[in-house]
Amino acid sequence: MPPFHFHIVEDERVVKDEEGQEFSENEAVRREAVETGASIARDAFIQGSASRVIVDVRSGDQQFLKVTISLTVEG
Amino acid sequence: MLETGKIRYSLSFLLQCWSSALTNESITNALITRLRITSALDDHDVQTVRSLPVVVKHYQPGQAIVRDGDRPTECCLISKGFCVRSKTTSNGRRQILSIHVPGEIPDLQSLHLHALDHDLTTLTECTLGFISHVSLREITRRRPNVAEVFWRDTLIDAAMFRDWIVNVGQRAAPNRLAHIIVELRERLKVIGMVQGARFEMPLTQEQFGEAMGITSVHVNRIVKQLRDDNILEFHRGSVSVIDEQKLLELADFDGLYLHQRPSL
Repeated sequence: MPPFHFHIVEDERVVKDEEGQEFSENEAVRREAVETGASIARDAFIQGSASRVIVDVRSGDQQFLKVTISLTVEG
Repeated sequence: MLETGKIRYSLSFLLQCWSSALTNESITNALITRLRITSALDDHDVQTVRSLPVVVKHYQPGQAIVRDGDRPTECCLISKGFCVRSKTTSNGRRQILSIHVPGEIPDLQSLHLHALDHDLTTLTECTLGFISHVSLREITRRRPNVAEVFWRDTLIDAAMFRDWIVNVGQRAAPNRLAHIIVELRERLKVIGMVQGARFEMPLTQEQFGEAMGITSVHVNRIVKQLRDDNILEFHRGSVSVIDEQKLLELADFDGLYLHQRPSL
């Protein structure tokens, strides 16, 4: 399997993952993306540094999956 | 001819004795250096610790030393290299609980807690000295001061775990990483392993993730942020401090819990 790149977007700030990581199965890629998004979002939401976190996972030029986590506080 | 042979044999025998005595001394060096700084160890105690019989073994990175559930009959003194203690959940997720440097005896508790409740694994290539429980028990009974020093050592170990819980439970991930790095640097300083801004830090991003309870992708994100903010630069197996002031602010570090002086 080619390496997967996990690009992180916090509101408008983009942090590109140039190195990438290898995984033996697709399910592990999904887990890594969801868990990464959740833990980055936890810090960002608590600190108020962003209210939307996207983990954009790409393999080569192809998008493999995209996780979006956003904060909505009502009232 | 025979005589020459005999001389050769006895010379090599002497050399062997000399080198094993040297080995024993060098194996306990980091331990003695550390205990002299952190605890009230007198010269007689040092001689006692140095006289402990030590079996020296070399380990590869990622090798188990003792495992959860084992009933060890010896304790492991790190002479060279880094080790970690960890526990793994039933679904295979590993939490690194502590990182250990030369001069430490990470499983000293096994002298009194007979079944090990976690894993002890090498992180890098290691030179380890194994000291039997029988001989440790004997010297702690003979030399109460040595017993107190070892007791204090396991208490400092517990203090470090309390700090680790606060770190993992309460700090944001970048602060958590900064805190782990500053703590390790303080412990490496005691044994003379920090010269200048760059020092050994052999954890991979995955292992940092296991220590901090986050994914390696998240660690990667933090490593980039710390580099872009000119705070820390990570290299393969080491780290350089670029901005000491910012690092300390981020780490929220008060080294009291390391009790690195006998008066603390």
